Amino acid sequence: MDLPIYYTRAEYIETDTGNKVSRRATISGPQNIILGGKTVIASGAIIRGDLRRTGPGHAVVISLGRYCLIGEGCVMRPPYKTYRGNFNYYPMKIGDHVHIGANSIVEAATIGNHVEIGKNCIIGKFTIIKDCARIADNTVIPPNTVVPALALFAGSPARFIEDLPESTPEMVEAQTKQYYTRFQPLPAER
Amino acid sequence: MAPKIEYYCPCLSESPHPPPPNRPSSSYSFHPLHNLFFCEECDAVRCNRCVSVEVSGYYCPNCLFEVPSASVRAEKNRCARNCFLCPNCRNTLTVVPSDPPEDVDSRMSPIVSTTLGEPPFFLYCNHCRWDSAEVGITFEKPTGLAAQLQKFEDSAPEALEFERLKEHFEPFLRASSSSSALPSASSHHVHTNPITAAASSALARDIPGVGKYNPLSRSRVGREKGAHRQEYPDYKSRVEVGTALSGEADVEFLRHLETVSQVAALEQRWTNSWVSPLSASDLKPLRIPLQSKKSKRCPSCRHILIKPEQKAQSVRFKIKLVAANYLPAIAVTLPHAQAAIEMLKRTSKTTSAAAQAEEQQAAGALIAGHSYSFHLAFTNPLYDPIQVRLAKAIAPAQTAEGDEAAERARRSTFQIQLPSAAFPVGAFAEAWEYDDEDEAMFLDDDGMEVVEARGKKGKDGRGKTRSVGIVEKRANVTIVSGEVLIPKEARGDVKFNMLVSYTYRSDDPEPSEEAQTGTPSRSHGANKGPEMKNFSFYTVVDLGSIMYREEPKLTADL
Ligand SMILES: [Zn+2]
Ligand SMILES: [Zn+2]
Ligand SMILES: [Zn+2]
Ligand SMILES: [Zn+2]
Repeated sequence: MDLPIYYTRAEYIETDTGNKVSRRATISGPQNIILGGKTVIASGAIIRGDLRRTGPGHAVVISLGRYCLIGEGCVMRPPYKTYRGNFNYYPMKIGDHVHIGANSIVEAATIGNHVEIGKNCIIGKFTIIKDCARIADNTVIPPNTVVPALALFAGSPARFIEDLPESTPEMVEAQTKQYYTRFQPLPAER
Repeated sequence: MAPKIEYYCPCLSESPHPPPPNRPSSSYSFHPLHNLFFCEECDAVRCNRCVSVEVSGYYCPNCLFEVPSASVRAEKNRCARNCFLCPNCRNTLTVVPSDPPEDVDSRMSPIVSTTLGEPPFFLYCNHCRWDSAEVGITFEKPTGLAAQLQKFEDSAPEALEFERLKEHFEPFLRASSSSSALPSASSHHVHTNPITAAASSALARDIPGVGKYNPLSRSRVGREKGAHRQEYPDYKSRVEVGTALSGEADVEFLRHLETVSQVAALEQRWTNSWVSPLSASDLKPLRIPLQSKKSKRCPSCRHILIKPEQKAQSVRFKIKLVAANYLPAIAVTLPHAQAAIEMLKRTSKTTSAAAQAEEQQAAGALIAGHSYSFHLAFTNPLYDPIQVRLAKAIAPAQTAEGDEAAERARRSTFQIQLPSAAFPVGAFAEAWEYDDEDEAMFLDDDGMEVVEARGKKGKDGRGKTRSVGIVEKRANVTIVSGEVLIPKEARGDVKFNMLVSYTYRSDDPEPSEEAQTGTPSRSHGANKGPEMKNFSFYTVVDLGSIMYREEPKLTADL
């Protein structure tokens, strides 16, 4: 019924925990990035793990949960601000079952579980997106916005549109798992 | 557009049968499965239009503070902390301090700590750069801003007038709320709080022919007319309408307009918590309206269908009776479209997403004069196997046969063939849900059991010969195929109502005869043994629009 989404085996690196990362994605500072497993980083995505808090040692800059998708051409960049005169980057934490559509730019502080972000969105600095929220395609969320749980946001600047159904967690979970299953190498190469 | 299926909730119509699918109004009666609820007591599907909704808690959508119901009223349903909306663009405002004298530019930066800095503080929009100093609103301290703003709001003449109006109607509200509890009305008064009751009886009195609102029994309109005919003294307004905006000043303002945006748009004005100025430059910041978590009840038996957890941001529910846990989920696909899309994906790697979408749409087209098979995938949510039987709801146009007009109508409407025999769908087992099982499940597809549908693709044009029946069966999913025959004269959408009945093993052998109310519903299958029950529901299947082209564009392109 649901068609497979094929990729060429040569393009993707698969990790032990089932993450699939495109060789055409730019992963800066990989030692500061955590992928939860079965997460797909599509081609052309840019993940800026190198933009870390100043100070010694290594720090987690961007963490992604399980069954996430960073769509083609997405930019994931940790938020920054000047606090008491010091410029600093702050970590970005993303939960499980989070899909981010193609060409979106994300500078959120936290994104909960079961969140869907559409295509061509801009998620401003320090945005907090709670569980099961959905951001429509082409939405611009200004910095410091809070998106409550089970809410649909759309527009520029983004606004609350409606409450999402109570069954959203199960639906999104099924969709993200299914996406991961459908995402497979071209059969000619199997 | 991909084919889709929606489920029927009969709450909007008198009859248990759905309206014809080509009527625009029919879309209001059909819903995606995951938006529906299920009442076990009534053994019936419920939708968001018919459930009765109760507020189970209030919270601010910005600071996420859970506001106790006691303070909601005093704070006028808006956040009493530091949450404000930009009156210009509705973005959330940030509290910012004034510039330190030497650093001129830091105000333009949205990244200013809210706990530091010099007074006066003001509210700043980091989306459209509006700031509250423009309308003369500044604060000495960066805390308790809402209380300061609410003081202005509450002392506005309009707010005072509203308070007086409320006081005036209070006795009437009390009177009507006690009388609406009379047994003359149906035992449960759906959706009716005292305010709705008062408003609807006032409306019924003032406008002849308008009945009291009762979502369950529309036929009872007017029965209670006159029941609340109760006189109350006239109210004398203390605010003269029209004096607040002096005409002269408005004319003067309009005369010097340079851009339309100087006039506050309707949207910027009507959700304002105080009198809304005509001039955009006079708009004031808005305290953020609270949102609520809601409980939902069955409209006829009052049982709770949805009960959220107390915590505002929890997505868990104490009670959640959703239809998806009771009815099989159905997914519709057009195999010819999928095959074409797959072809396109493999051949055209370079085209843009937009072009790809267009190609895919052309590939999935339904062309007049052809017949197509479609697949219906049934997923069983129950822990026991079910037997499903399908039937096409009869269109009323087909009754007068022999008549020439009817014959022509028949020739120009598409024909649907569904599997006539009942087919099984396996039981849901938690194991199917295991992560590691996922991959295994998909690999099975290659060796899938194709019963009939394969190898007959060549006969597309002639129709009839193609099989209708089970295509695939695995785990708790069964895929059956149906067929649509589109005559050359056919136009419009291929959209039809389908009745789905299924028998399932009932856990409780308790008799539920009293639940039968003429709606298609679960009943004891008399010939299936005492434990089998039957449940039926209507759906609408939309396969897409009919195209008139003789030659599919696809073949020309390839
Ligand atoms: Zn309904
Ligand atoms: Zn608030
Ligand atoms: Zn603004
Ligand atoms: Zn009920």
